[in-house]
Amino acid sequence: MIEEARYFETELAVIGSGIAGCAASIFALNKKITTAQVGNTGAVAYTTGYLDLLGKLEGDKGAIDNPWDAITALKDRCPDHPLNGISAADIRAAFNEFTAFLGECGIAYSSPGDSNITALSPAGTLKKTLCVPATMAAGPKAFAAKTACVIVDFKGLKGFSGKQVVANLHKQWPTLKAERIVFPEMLSGEIYPEVMARALEVEKTREALAESIKAVAGNAKVIGLPAVLGMHNPDFIKTELERLTGFEIFEIPTMPPSVPGIRLRELFEQVFPEKGIILIPQQKVSSLTFDDDSATLSLTDNHGPITIKAKAVILATGRFLSGGLEAHITGINESLLNLPVTQPAKRDDWYFEQYTDSRGHAIHKAGIEIDDSFRPIGEDGRPYHERLFAAGIILAHQDWIRSRSGAGIAIATAYKAVEAVDNFLHA
Amino acid sequence: MSDQKTTTLNFKELAMELLPEGASFEACLTCGLCSSGCPASGLENMDPRKFIRMALLGMDEELSTTPWIWCCTQCKRCQHVCPMNIDISQLVFIARGNWPQEKKPSGIVRSCELIRSTDSTSAMGLPPEDFIFVVDDVLKEVRETQTGFEKLEAPMDKPGTHFFVNQNSREPMSEPDEMVPLWKIFDMVGADWTYSSKGWAAENFCMFSGDDDAWYKVIKTRVDAVNKLGCKVWLNTECGHSYYTMWNGIHKFNMDVNFKLESLVTYYAQWIREGKLPVNSDWNVNNIKFTVQDPCMIVRKAYGDSIADDMRFVVKKLVGEENFIDMQPNRSANYCCGGGGGFLQAGMTDHRRAYGKRKFDQIAATKAAYVLTPCHNCHSQMEDIGHFYGGDYGVVHFWTLICLSLGILGENERTYLGPDLLALLD
Repeated sequence: MIEEARYFETELAVIGSGIAGCAASIFALNKKITTAQVGNTGAVAYTTGYLDLLGKLEGDKGAIDNPWDAITALKDRCPDHPLNGISAADIRAAFNEFTAFLGECGIAYSSPGDSNITALSPAGTLKKTLCVPATMAAGPKAFAAKTACVIVDFKGLKGFSGKQVVANLHKQWPTLKAERIVFPEMLSGEIYPEVMARALEVEKTREALAESIKAVAGNAKVIGLPAVLGMHNPDFIKTELERLTGFEIFEIPTMPPSVPGIRLRELFEQVFPEKGIILIPQQKVSSLTFDDDSATLSLTDNHGPITIKAKAVILATGRFLSGGLEAHITGINESLLNLPVTQPAKRDDWYFEQYTDSRGHAIHKAGIEIDDSFRPIGEDGRPYHERLFAAGIILAHQDWIRSRSGAGIAIATAYKAVEAVDNFLHA
Repeated sequence: MSDQKTTTLNFKELAMELLPEGASFEACLTCGLCSSGCPASGLENMDPRKFIRMALLGMDEELSTTPWIWCCTQCKRCQHVCPMNIDISQLVFIARGNWPQEKKPSGIVRSCELIRSTDSTSAMGLPPEDFIFVVDDVLKEVRETQTGFEKLEAPMDKPGTHFFVNQNSREPMSEPDEMVPLWKIFDMVGADWTYSSKGWAAENFCMFSGDDDAWYKVIKTRVDAVNKLGCKVWLNTECGHSYYTMWNGIHKFNMDVNFKLESLVTYYAQWIREGKLPVNSDWNVNNIKFTVQDPCMIVRKAYGDSIADDMRFVVKKLVGEENFIDMQPNRSANYCCGGGGGFLQAGMTDHRRAYGKRKFDQIAATKAAYVLTPCHNCHSQMEDIGHFYGGDYGVVHFWTLICLSLGILGENERTYLGPDLLALLD
């Protein structure tokens, strides 16, 4: 069969479609750098929607109230941590730019403040985060003020229990109650947050749900719901449901597969092409080669081969889940270029004996090294190539899950990597 | 249904063979993104995640006999949202093929048999001579009754043309006037095209029955027909799965083919860009709203977003940018409507409508008066769920709206227009 191979030329190619990759594309867009983004979406659909900067310091028992102070402390505790080389002003600018973009495109977020927000987890525990979606903002406020509140959950919805939330919070929030209702037209079987969110984009469903909520609200002033307030226009859906019920409403993240992550993914996939980014999600790059004046990416999607020529490349391929790193019997490899990976000396050192060991596991700090300009280091200890940069959790010396710093590392390092690309391209 | 026993397949072994390079079931987090985004979840007490987990647990007998495989439209949305890129639809295809012929949904089996009963490859069994007669008859009437089209052409078996044009059997069989807008468009752009009396039909239910051998034979007939006429491009008209079955079949069966496979949608966009189809939205004085349904078969499963973007370009030109409301989610992330995979022919009406409820909600959320789609199965399903769930939208072909915009839509070509659009033509 006669086929035409597809070929693109661009200034920047971003490999990876997680938070770091998408943040890099946003920053590049704002700098008017022509961009192609390819690669797996990885775990982006699993996010709670909260954007953490730094919620916990290694060795400390408590959570962090002021992440900006904690970043200063990070320099002593974890001297090689990727956030250390980035000024607080740059981190704040990166969060501002990222959240402003999301807001302009349809998912409003709080701006980064001077301290962390105490937010609710799906289980009703508390966590520290820097920015929250507008649909979730009333939750932390209601918790702080101990406002009379009902957490409403749904028959058939697994992974979110109002009773569990209340059980974990009732000592600190005595006016908190739980109620279970039937979601409109979903009387039986398992129901998913995604399905509910899409159904709430229909006016009739919102009206029916509002009536059911009013029936169980009692003397509550505010209503907490699992995160199901629409997929593509959540702020509008929230406002509409508040109008229909007369109550202030907030969302609590649910267990994956959760709506806030799917919202972000679908927003990126919708908006990026509209803004001129060449987006090829869900396809892994099969080879990346460099010559003197460009990099060449090769990949294949459903319809055949694609070649992208770029002046610079940002590697934001994540760790194990997204395929940026691969764990083998003999050790951990970087999957695309076989870059050197900083890792425990031997496999036996990857984990402590106990899964819940409070010290964390060494494998979770494995990753690649970069220099001051965010260029990955090659075998010879020098930058692998002047056209190659890296961002996100593929970078070594951080355990983002334990330190509640995934979005912070992704967004801040993407910001700096794009800045370095801009300097390189336009110096 | 007969008593013939269904062979039990080893799904784990099959799944392992089908995994893309680098993928791993061990890395599956059982996160459920596949099931969460699948309209067939819950039907027959099954969903994609359950299907994979049962395969890994060795529950082969249950998987070999579950009727759910006829509710899964093999739309590949599960794979699209899976971080590990696991393709469950291929397992479903194998499971379908494994069912004894007598136990498979008779509508799908019968359609496949009809396709193979004549050289037309028509699922409605329309033989070549009848196709020639219908085309000739309709053409004669248009020439006699429509001013400006006295010399309209609908070439048959013309060798060496650029385009070999296929046609869904529904038109010549049930609504022959629906072919005319297409001919008028070809006439306006000066296309060098032909129908073929052999292999002209678009549909291929043999693929949906999971029958590799029959699928191959249908494609072979069509490939031979294009080669015999020496055409440069096999042009798929407004039918979704016909493109996929030909394109995927040629790859799958490693066939030697010296022509291109193209979709009419990309040519609509190209001809509009080139000024050959001078459509505009001036006619839409009442700002009637339109949305688009992306057929899985040509968007997510084949071309990707490029053809979806072409569709949007065409629609915006036709109805006005402000009158186009995109369905959410859309393009490669779009939901299957439930008309694909042979579901419309499988006789499982309740399940099909339950599946289609999500599509109905998405259409309702747009508040559009019309859905445009270049796919006959999408068309039929969206009409059916619209009636069933009380929607008040219409479904139209692209060719209808293009000719409406150009002011050349004949009176007999207005079947799918509602009163609001008809009023504009009076």
